[in-house]
Amino acid sequence: MFKKILFATTASPTCDNAAMVAFDLELKWNAKLFVFHVLGLPTRGYSPFVTDSRTGETESVDPDYLEWVEEEMRNTYDKYLEESDAEIDAVVGNPHREILRKARAEDVDLIIMGAHTREEDIGATRYRSVVGSTMQKVAKAARCPIVIISRPCTTCWKLFSHILVATDFSKAAFSAFRFGVKLAREVKAELHLFHAVDIETLNNGQISSQEEIEEKLAHARRRIDKKYVPLLKGVKSYDIEIREGTPYVEVLKYAREKQADLVVMAHHTREIDPELALLGSTVEQVVLRASCPVASVNHPDKVADVA
Amino acid sequence: MPEGTLCNKLTVDTKEHLDSLLADKSGKVYYKEMNDLEVNQKALWGIIQKTFRSRFKTWLEICAHCGLCAESCFHYTANNGDPKQVPSYKIQSTLGEIVRRKGKVDNDFMQHCMDVAFAQCSCCTRCGIYCPFGIDMGIMFSYLRGLLFSQGFTPWEMKIGTGMHRIYHAQMDITTEDWVDTCEWMAEEYEEDWPGLKIPVDVESADIMYTVNAREPKHYPEDLAEAAILFHLAGENWTVPSEGWEETSLAMFAGDWAACKMQVETVYDAMERLKPKRMVVTECGHAYRATVLEGPYWAGRKSGQTPVESIHYVEWVAEALRTGKLKIDPSKKIKEPVTYQDSCNYVRNGGLGHFAREIMSYVAEDFREMTPTKEHNYCCGGGGGLNGIGRYREQRNIGMKVKRDQILDTGAKLVISPCHNCWDAIRDMEEIYHMGIRWTFLKPLLISMVEVPEHLKPEE
Repeated sequence: MFKKILFATTASPTCDNAAMVAFDLELKWNAKLFVFHVLGLPTRGYSPFVTDSRTGETESVDPDYLEWVEEEMRNTYDKYLEESDAEIDAVVGNPHREILRKARAEDVDLIIMGAHTREEDIGATRYRSVVGSTMQKVAKAARCPIVIISRPCTTCWKLFSHILVATDFSKAAFSAFRFGVKLAREVKAELHLFHAVDIETLNNGQISSQEEIEEKLAHARRRIDKKYVPLLKGVKSYDIEIREGTPYVEVLKYAREKQADLVVMAHHTREIDPELALLGSTVEQVVLRASCPVASVNHPDKVADVA
Repeated sequence: MPEGTLCNKLTVDTKEHLDSLLADKSGKVYYKEMNDLEVNQKALWGIIQKTFRSRFKTWLEICAHCGLCAESCFHYTANNGDPKQVPSYKIQSTLGEIVRRKGKVDNDFMQHCMDVAFAQCSCCTRCGIYCPFGIDMGIMFSYLRGLLFSQGFTPWEMKIGTGMHRIYHAQMDITTEDWVDTCEWMAEEYEEDWPGLKIPVDVESADIMYTVNAREPKHYPEDLAEAAILFHLAGENWTVPSEGWEETSLAMFAGDWAACKMQVETVYDAMERLKPKRMVVTECGHAYRATVLEGPYWAGRKSGQTPVESIHYVEWVAEALRTGKLKIDPSKKIKEPVTYQDSCNYVRNGGLGHFAREIMSYVAEDFREMTPTKEHNYCCGGGGGLNGIGRYREQRNIGMKVKRDQILDTGAKLVISPCHNCWDAIRDMEEIYHMGIRWTFLKPLLISMVEVPEHLKPEE
């Protein structure tokens, strides 16, 4: 299922938890792992200068400097590299763009990232005009699933026993569902299919009657039965849960109840201003707060075989 | 005649040569070798005799030393009226000296000329419109850069830039395959949000042939996608050439005249091959000057014109808004105070300032002019290649104070800057002087404001 994995790292402690998962996946799935770091942002006009993404310093990048950064990366991950064949790569560019470029060039099956947003970084001014976080942009455009790991994840993926798929019935969410199914079949995990009826943002503060809410819940149930359930063949066991509330809160609560090892969701923010979506999107909120990894799947390319 | 391995009179025509320059961090060895570079005085005088135009000769001779150019120069103002920053002094003490001495100058003097030509003049040509005789020091400095280049006295980054143009026909190492693949990639990435979006390559007889700055496909391909989205929304029949897509010319900054010709000819060849009705240049200032204003002369075109009518991006945007091909959603117009950075190259040198104002009238509710403005506006502070040269970082940062104060005086926190170079300079300015401003190209701004016709919206 994962033949090629791209671990996009800041090569700093922010990504330590993600690193652990990335190297573990490489071993367990016998995959080709690319450890990839975008070290600095280039200028728009002609100039050899880049702003180092870790120090915020202006650097003139030459082959030696790239080599030095790659050496640093090797040192950072030396304990993993003892039993890994990972390819280490450092490049100059706009982080989300270079991650997407690499993912496309190598046709990877999975991207792994830490939940790094740029705010804590020193070179923040340069990034101001590059609105939105790297994770958001990669999640939106990547053709493969991306997994964001912000907290320690000690369970080996092969031992995952609970996978939560949250859907909002969008096209993208269907891809997320297919990924959840594929993984649940492969690792023989239980699948928890979840939908939250959004009772706040949709109604502009109006209060829905109990009947209305219940009708919405029933409607969602019918949609799941029709569209999703027929595809659940081969999944060890599954359950379906529909609740009302604020979607990200409900997703998090349910993930906790079921002790989910992974939350799978779609990332789509087409309708929302990217600057607002930074704080507003459900997936972002779940990523920031979930205690388990979150997979974002937006495109059908890598999951089309689940039919 | 001593020549360095990196710093010499040779042009950079092979990848090996280019790589050896790139491997020399910040040009450390390059500049060290420059100290031993011998001036071929005979060759220098020879080239002057062949290329020194009567216009320049007249200009140098009729200068009355009146000093009226002094305050036109942002370097002079930013350096508290240092007499050494008076444009007429700067050119008389460099190019003027070389000519008067018939090329008999030494290494020290050539290095001094290089420092003045790159760190004290951005070739913005503002002084030319304040001189009572119309003497254009910026144009003469461009010429001086050419003389210096022929003798190997050019900043390290400029030498690399010319090498890129000579080898890749672009200011960055992008091959035809890289470029075409980037076009496919961007169409692929954005077509979901913009159904039917295409980036057509090498379509003959299109209405528009679009050309770019190599930094876009290299590092910021979104820019290309944004251009495609706007052409798509405007319903344009457009294309990009697979070769001859690079509009910029670092060779112009460096004074590598042969590479200048080589570069623009790739674009003209594309025009002749694809026969578009018009060419549109991306949001870049010097690219327009190089390919549209100066290029026809470099290429020896008798008409003095490009093979097909060539317009800058601001001209296309103004036209699209005027004719209603693009419509701005009135509720999305910019409400906050906003100002516009006039790029010297397409506003002062190209006369396109009024198109920028026309665009502002459609998109901004509180547009604030800088003082002075339009063709009288100052250089961003990083023009003429200065942004990219490490050796002159400090001088550049001082010069930026003039633009900083102009922006602050408008009270606007948003600066529209449709030029890669100005964009960089304004960003750097914010980093150095912490003004609390934002800056943007036109394309993302327009996409956020434009009305999307029903049939072009994505299904959900």
